Amino acid sequence: MLVTFPNMGNVAFAARALCQGLKIPYVMPEKNNKDTLRRGSFYAPEEICLPFKVMLGNFLECIEKGADTILFVGSCGPCRFGEYCELHMKILRRLGYGNVNIVVADFSPEIGIDALRHRIAAISDKSPVGKLEKLKAVKNAMIIEALCDRLDRIAYEMAGYEVNRGTCKRLMYEYKAKILESKEPDETIAMLRGYLRKFGEVKTDLSLDPVKIAIIGEIYTVIDPFSNLYIEEKLMDLGASSSRMLTPTWWVKDLVMKPVKLNSPNINRAARKYMPFPVGGHGKECIGEAVLAAKKGMDGAIQILPLGCMPEVISKAILPSIRRDYSFPFMTLIVDEVTGEAGINTRLEAFLDMLGSIKKRGGSGRKHNLTKMEPAGSLLRRCANEADRKELFFE
Amino acid sequence: MNKELYLGVDVGSVSTNLVLMEKSGDILEKLYLKTSGHPVETLKNGLSRFKAMLGNKTEILAAGATGSGRQLAGLLIGADVVKNEITAHAVAALSVEPEVRTILEIGGQDSKIIFVRNGVVYDFAMNTVCAAGTGSFLDRQASRLDIPIEEFGGYALRAKNPVRIAGRCAVFAESDMIHKQQTGHCNEDIIAGLCLALVRNYLNNLAKGKEIPGPVVFQGGVAANVGIVAAFEKILGSSIVIPRHYDVMGAYGAAILAKEHIGETGKKTCFHGFDCVNDNFSVKSLECKDCPNRCEVVKISVGGELKACMGDRCGKWNCLPKDMSMNA
Repeated sequence: MLVTFPNMGNVAFAARALCQGLKIPYVMPEKNNKDTLRRGSFYAPEEICLPFKVMLGNFLECIEKGADTILFVGSCGPCRFGEYCELHMKILRRLGYGNVNIVVADFSPEIGIDALRHRIAAISDKSPVGKLEKLKAVKNAMIIEALCDRLDRIAYEMAGYEVNRGTCKRLMYEYKAKILESKEPDETIAMLRGYLRKFGEVKTDLSLDPVKIAIIGEIYTVIDPFSNLYIEEKLMDLGASSSRMLTPTWWVKDLVMKPVKLNSPNINRAARKYMPFPVGGHGKECIGEAVLAAKKGMDGAIQILPLGCMPEVISKAILPSIRRDYSFPFMTLIVDEVTGEAGINTRLEAFLDMLGSIKKRGGSGRKHNLTKMEPAGSLLRRCANEADRKELFFE
Repeated sequence: MNKELYLGVDVGSVSTNLVLMEKSGDILEKLYLKTSGHPVETLKNGLSRFKAMLGNKTEILAAGATGSGRQLAGLLIGADVVKNEITAHAVAALSVEPEVRTILEIGGQDSKIIFVRNGVVYDFAMNTVCAAGTGSFLDRQASRLDIPIEEFGGYALRAKNPVRIAGRCAVFAESDMIHKQQTGHCNEDIIAGLCLALVRNYLNNLAKGKEIPGPVVFQGGVAANVGIVAAFEKILGSSIVIPRHYDVMGAYGAAILAKEHIGETGKKTCFHGFDCVNDNFSVKSLECKDCPNRCEVVKISVGGELKACMGDRCGKWNCLPKDMSMNA
C-alpha cells in the first residue's frame, strides 16, 4: 500500500507526518503548480470549481508515482465539495485507475460513526506500530499542522512590521523546504519550534502602521497559495500585514465542535445579524470574519472565491451591507484557471493604495466601538514564548 | 535656462501614451501611440520623438510609469514611481476635476470604475471575465463593418431607431449584430444599439447597481467615441465630463505622482535621460526549476548588463534596483 493525499496549504505536511508516525509508505504530492492544474483541468468537468481540478491534479501526479490509496475528507456536503470524492472516483475509474482506493473520512451523521471507524481501520490496520504509537502519530500530525499554521500567521502579520523587507517571507520559504527534508515527526516539531523562535528575532519596527488586511472567502482557495495566485505573499512583498482565520487547524476544531454546536462561537455570533443560518460551504464564516475584521479595526478585507462557488456568491452579495454599516472596504477576487497575474497585481496595488489613503485621512470614520487591536509587540513576544509550549493545538 | 518638465508614461495593452507635464501641472506635449504588441519599441519610439521635439534645452525632474507594462517601462526609463493604473487614473481625474465623484475609464483591454469621496478613492472595480465593452472589441466591430473607428461613434448619433443588442458577452453581441444586419437594419441603428448594450454591460458588470454620483468623468481611449458617450448620458440621465486629455490620463497621473514623490522625498530623479532609447534593452524569460513553484522569471538586461529579474516568488532571483520605489 502506498498512500497519498491532496495538497491544501500545510495539510500535506501533517498528513506526511501522520504516515511517518504510522510507518506507512506514502507519496507526497508536489507543491501545487501549473502542471498540477494542467493535469487536473484536462480530466475534470469544465464547470466544476477550481479546488476539484487542483486536487485531481495532485491525485493523478501521485498515482503516476505509484500511489494506490488516497486519503481524503468528504461530507454529504451542502456545497459541491459533497460530490468531490464520488466524482474523483468516477474519473479515476474511467482513466483506468480502478485499483486506486479512495479512503474518505466522512464525518456526516448520514454515514454513521461505524462506517468512519471501518474506513479509518483500513489504513491503520496496515500500520505496524502499536496503539499508543498510533495515537502519538495523530497527535504529532496535529501539532505540526498547528505549528505550521501559527508560523504562517506570524509571517503574514509580521511582514508589515519587518525592517528588512522580505525577511519573513524568506523564513517562511525556508521552514517549508526544511519540513520536506525531515524524516521523523519529532524532528519536524523541534525544527518548527526553532523557527517560532527565529520569527521572534526578526527585526521589526513597531511604530510602522502598515495596511492590515483580512483574507476571507472559500476555504480551499484562501489556504492554497497557488489557487489564489499567491495573494498573501504578494501582500508581504507590498509591505502589508494580512491575517486569515480559516486554517486547517481551525477546520479540524470546527468539525470536532460542530456536533455540540460550539464551533467558532465568535464567528457565528458576528455573522448572525447578516446571515442567521448557514448557506453551505463557509459562507456564514465569511460574513462573520468580515464583521470581526471590521470590529477589530483592520483596514479592509479581500474575499477570494473560485468561480461558481455558490456559498461565497451569497456572502458576496451581503458584503456591501457590512461595508455600509461599518464603512469597511472589501475587494472580491474570483479565481479560476487563469494564471496570468497582471490583473490581480493591479487590483491588489490599487486596493492597498486606496486603503493607505483612507488611513492617511484619519481612517474611515467608523462609528462603532472597535475592539482593541492586539498591538504588534505582543505578537512578537507571544511567538517567542510559545515556542516551548506543548499543546498549541488545544489552546 | 533649461525648461523643467515631468515625464509620465502609460504602457497599456493597446496604446502606449507619453506625457510631458510642466511645473504648473499643464500638459506640454502628449503622444498616443499604438502598442501593437511591442511595448519596448513603442516606448523607445515615443521617447525619441519627444527628444526631437524638445532638443537639449529641457530637464526632466521626475518620471513615472503606469499601465500593464509599467514594470518594464519603469526599468527602461528609470522611473521614480511605478504605479498601478487605477491610482494613476484617479489622481489625474482629481487634478482635472477636483469635485469628481465617479470616474469611468474604458481602455483597450480593460475597463474600470472608480468612486471618489472627499478626494479619496473609496471603491473601485475592474472588469473581470469579459472584455466586451472595451476598445479592442469596438475596434474589431468597426473593421468588420468597414467603418473607420474615428467615425464609428458618429453613426450611433445618426440612428433613429436603435436595435436591441445583447451586451453580456462580446461573442453574443457580435452574433446579435450579424443577425440584425442580415434582417436588414441599417448600420446606424445597429451601432447605436451596440453602444447602448456596451454601456449597460459596463454598468451591470462594474457598478453592480451602485449609485453613480456626479460629477462623472469619462476617460480612456473609448471616451473619443461619441456614440458611447451619448449612451452613457442617456442611461445615466446626466451629463458627463470628458477631460481635454482624456486619452492620456494614465500617463498624466503617472507624471503627477512622480512630481509628488520627488517633491516629498527631495530625491534626485532616476530618469535615464532620453538617450536611453539607444540602450540595448533585452528581455529573456526562463522557467525556474528549483522548486515546484516553477516561476516564470523575466531577466532584463540593459547594454549587456543584468539590471533586474522579476516574476519569482521566493525572492531568489529578485533584484529590482533599490532606488526604484515600487509602491511609493
